Amino acid sequence: MSQTLSGRVLIVEDESLVAMLLETILEDMGCTPVGPASTIDEGLALATGAEPLDAALLDVNVAGRQVFPIAEALKARGVPFVFSTGYGESGLSDEWRGHPTVQKPFTEAAIRDALMKAMGVENA
Amino acid sequence: MTSTETDLAAALEASPNAYFIVDRDLKFVWANAAYLAMTQRSADDLIGTPVFEAFDAGPGAEAPENARQLRASFEKAFATGLRNDIPVIHYAIPLPRADGLRAYEDRYWSVVHTPLLRDGVVEHVLQYAIDITELERLRRSAARELETSAASTIDAIVGGTLLSGARTVQADNARLETERQGLMDLFMQAPGFVAVLSGPDHVFQIHNGAYAQLIGHRDIAGKPTREALPEVRGQGYFEFLDTVYATGEPYEGRASRVQLQRTPDAPLESRFLDFIYQPIRDARGGVVGIFVQGHDVTETVRSTERQKLMIDELNHRVKNTLATVQSIAMQTARSHPDPGTFAEGFQARLLALSHTHDLLTRSHWEGADLADVLSHETIAHGPHRITPIGPPVALGSAAALSFGMIFHELATNAAKYGALSGPEGRVLVDWAIANQTRPVLTLTWRETDGPPVSPPSRKGFGSRLIERNVRHDLAGEVKLDYADDGFIAEFSVPLDFGRS
Repeated sequence: MSQTLSGRVLIVEDESLVAMLLETILEDMGCTPVGPASTIDEGLALATGAEPLDAALLDVNVAGRQVFPIAEALKARGVPFVFSTGYGESGLSDEWRGHPTVQKPFTEAAIRDALMKAMGVENA
Repeated sequence: MTSTETDLAAALEASPNAYFIVDRDLKFVWANAAYLAMTQRSADDLIGTPVFEAFDAGPGAEAPENARQLRASFEKAFATGLRNDIPVIHYAIPLPRADGLRAYEDRYWSVVHTPLLRDGVVEHVLQYAIDITELERLRRSAARELETSAASTIDAIVGGTLLSGARTVQADNARLETERQGLMDLFMQAPGFVAVLSGPDHVFQIHNGAYAQLIGHRDIAGKPTREALPEVRGQGYFEFLDTVYATGEPYEGRASRVQLQRTPDAPLESRFLDFIYQPIRDARGGVVGIFVQGHDVTETVRSTERQKLMIDELNHRVKNTLATVQSIAMQTARSHPDPGTFAEGFQARLLALSHTHDLLTRSHWEGADLADVLSHETIAHGPHRITPIGPPVALGSAAALSFGMIFHELATNAAKYGALSGPEGRVLVDWAIANQTRPVLTLTWRETDGPPVSPPSRKGFGSRLIERNVRHDLAGEVKLDYADDGFIAEFSVPLDFGRS
């Protein structure tokens, strides 16, 4: 696990403390956090905006709404992403089942593995 | 006698079937050779003798009733001018034994009484009698051996009504009718829905009150199912009915969803049903219809769904709270390299979170009042050092949690570096709600009479947490002002944020 990641990673997470944790973890890994977005609208604006993105971490439930529109936008743009959820697999709709996911609460290793898996899947 | 009558009389005389004729006094006026042979009597013996004198039905206990039944049939034929039948009658007749004496022998007969009219008046009645004793004995022994199939076959040979006289049939009919009505009442009042469909088009024959309620009291009697419930097309149920009718295999559905037009012109309504389609077969085993029976389990299904949603929501909150705690631990650790002060800071923040949880639990997580959140988070620093001024403000649960953390950080900071670090310092917290149509909360935290203030050399976790919380979780704005005579924090937060 000595491998380092780099690049700009979008964070969509409605709880500021959790978002701060993700920022800290990403910075420690050598990534640059983008956002964090606390709403779907804000996240969509960043996901479809001009700023370059290398990956994204998406909370499934954002202030009572599901994050899947942002996932669609990122997929269309070819940006790999990882879901984060407290619901487990059952929180994902059938369409996204099996996609790289981290469970809350998460470890730095879990986020790194999931991001690498997502990026690897995309590059394959 | 006309020649036709003479020919007829000759034909009857020569017939191998037993015939005799009585007058209105029920006396023998004529009997054919077959009858005389069957009863072993001579014409002289019988002609002019009353029938019930020559044949008195014997000594048995049933004899008077048997005689009465036979007499009644004669009388009916005389009175109505219509043929009268007794499909089976038990009637003993005296027959000669080997010693020449006569003894009564049990016999079963099937008799037909035909009125003979002259000028529209019944003058005579012709009896045609068949001795069915052997047949009846066979039937009875078969019935005794419970070989009902053999019995019923013989029943069928003898005309189906052999089993009982007209009176018993009538009594049976009345009993059956009562039973049928009783079953019908049970069926109609059953708490579950019940319907009987007939034929390949599944025509509604009967349906009960619960069924009518399920489909919104439509007029479906006598209609094929596809016509009676058109909205069900494409939902698979007609196909299940067709399969049950074709294969004779029952079909069972569990918590099966159906969309029904329960109110005219209203949108279709979803109901969940436990049900069974059971084939109805005729005597030969062929499927002639379908018995539909079931229960509306919509409420059970919905409450199970609600429960699952609640468990998912609880899980989501617990996991999010754990992630929050994880974040607090990690951030606190970074600003407290010393394990001793880390534990203190971490525990204080955990307790702050816990205090707001307590408040929210009281309201079943619907929210909390701003002043309550403030006093819960600052009471530890002394009840009179913090002065709240402002109207009641109902905060949603997310906003309450945010303000709980914010007040905790402000008070901790004030106790370390600000007004609450000395004995004289005080904090004034005042707030108001601006813009009544889209309410915005403006709140000021103002410290006075504390030590001189200087801005921190670098932003600590506390101030970052405050700024992030306000912008990110509350979609508001905050200004932290390290003024010389006291620290001031000014908040502006929309109150409808995050609410529907």
